[in-house]
Amino acid sequence: MPIKKRGTGLTAVADAWQLADIDVTASYPIRPYTAVMAEVAKRIANGLMKCEMVHGEGEHAQFSIAHGASMAGARATTGSSGVGVAYAFETYSPIAGGRCPIQALIADRTLDPPGDFGSEHTECLNLRDNGWIYGWAENAQESLDNSLMFFRIGEDPDIMLPQIVAMDGYFVSHIAQDYEMPDQEQVDKFLPPFKPQFRLDVNNPVIMGPQIEPEMGPPLEWDRNVVMDRVKEKIVAVTEEFGKIFGRKYAPFVEEYMTDDADMVFLLQGAHAVTCRSAIRYLRQAGYKVGMCRLRWFRPFPDTALKAILPKFKVVGVVDTNTSYGAAGGSGVLLVETRASVSEVPGKPLIQGFTSGLGGETITHEEFFKMAEMMKMTLEAGRIIQDAVWVNFNDYLPAVSEVQAAEQQVAQTKE
Amino acid sequence: MSKTYKQVPFAAIVPSPTVSNEHMVTGNWRYLRPVVDKGQCTQCKTCWIFCPDACVDFSKDEGVDFNLKYCKGCGVCSSVCPVGAISRVPELDFDE
Ligand code: SF4
Ligand code: SF4
Repeated sequence: MPIKKRGTGLTAVADAWQLADIDVTASYPIRPYTAVMAEVAKRIANGLMKCEMVHGEGEHAQFSIAHGASMAGARATTGSSGVGVAYAFETYSPIAGGRCPIQALIADRTLDPPGDFGSEHTECLNLRDNGWIYGWAENAQESLDNSLMFFRIGEDPDIMLPQIVAMDGYFVSHIAQDYEMPDQEQVDKFLPPFKPQFRLDVNNPVIMGPQIEPEMGPPLEWDRNVVMDRVKEKIVAVTEEFGKIFGRKYAPFVEEYMTDDADMVFLLQGAHAVTCRSAIRYLRQAGYKVGMCRLRWFRPFPDTALKAILPKFKVVGVVDTNTSYGAAGGSGVLLVETRASVSEVPGKPLIQGFTSGLGGETITHEEFFKMAEMMKMTLEAGRIIQDAVWVNFNDYLPAVSEVQAAEQQVAQTKE
Repeated sequence: MSKTYKQVPFAAIVPSPTVSNEHMVTGNWRYLRPVVDKGQCTQCKTCWIFCPDACVDFSKDEGVDFNLKYCKGCGVCSSVCPVGAISRVPELDFDE
């Protein structure tokens, strides 16, 4: 029988790792990731989990330990947050290129400076070009479920890629919430033991990660590129199978909320979707025909799904909770990827970028209302009025322009 | 006509070589050469275990020798040798 629990995103992932019977986990403390390492250590000490826990002297070592364990045939996990994710950067491409399907948990934290603890997706998005597959969970339940689905997809012999279970730090990683821990039997049915075709074995020695000749580079990269397309097919099949076994049905790529008759939608990922949904219910009462598209995957990016979904709407407001200074469009990474996904699609909507929820701030109802109002103005104007909107800093609302005009007038009279 | 590339196996994982690859000689950037003093060497094989590039050859009769075609001169062997039998000699001190 599945167990009803109250816990956080991190205890939920520890539950998933326990159910997946991981062999090795590599740790190094940094908030908010630390809580999962503490949780796993406790379970090992109490005999709930049989797994080797190896403590690195830093995140670079930590990810390298998981890499080595995976080469030796272990189901290995690790994880980090914020600057810790950055410190391990060199290891990401070799782990993915070496096709070692380790699983990392990243509970977001801002990069320095300043030394802020709050959630921002930037650190995890920074490694988007390294061949890992990942997406954001919006709550504890989805973190647990994603962990199991990601193991299944990443360890598939046709795929063999490392995965990141990403979640907003604190909002998901530390707020206690209700979720269900599935039954061991269900998990055993869904997730077969990890049996890689190649592993480090003294009786059958192989070399992993050798030096190759320049002419061998392009075909190797081509292979890494092709596998990403295969991941998309697996996501569809595995999400469907997950729903059948566990009874929780997820959209494979994009969750749609109140989009049936919507003119405009918020497009975002992660925990802010929870506030977004409730803001939408108020906005609907006030007559805004607004909905939400929540991305369940970031890599591979669900461009095919967006090509099919987004032309239904007139305005899409992409909410970036990350920074990409100087990026096209002046917002974050989601805006760039979303625009690129539909740029050649006939009847594509106007795509407005919003930056909000930085530094670990919640995106409040009021901020969602503001964004909806700006999207409505864009809808009525039939064109992008102003790019690079950072909510509360340079909103293009009538009230804001009135204040600006008044300030200018005052300044002129002072001259 | 499309270009023909040198194909690589999955993730470039290859069986451990039993012969050396003459196309990939990597010992020529070494500037300090490991030299063993066979009188001091106790044949404990610590260097043989630690060399990151499997360049320490070992036989009962000859003891320790180095495969200089691939040895990078990193000095790990000399650092781990418990009796200090391996010294690091500048390459320019040798004729070949
Ligand atoms: S110097 Fe380095 S590469 Fe050369 S034999 Fe010693 S340990 Fe191996
Ligand atoms: S470590 Fe030193 S003593 Fe041991 S085998 Fe190597 S050279 Fe000889």
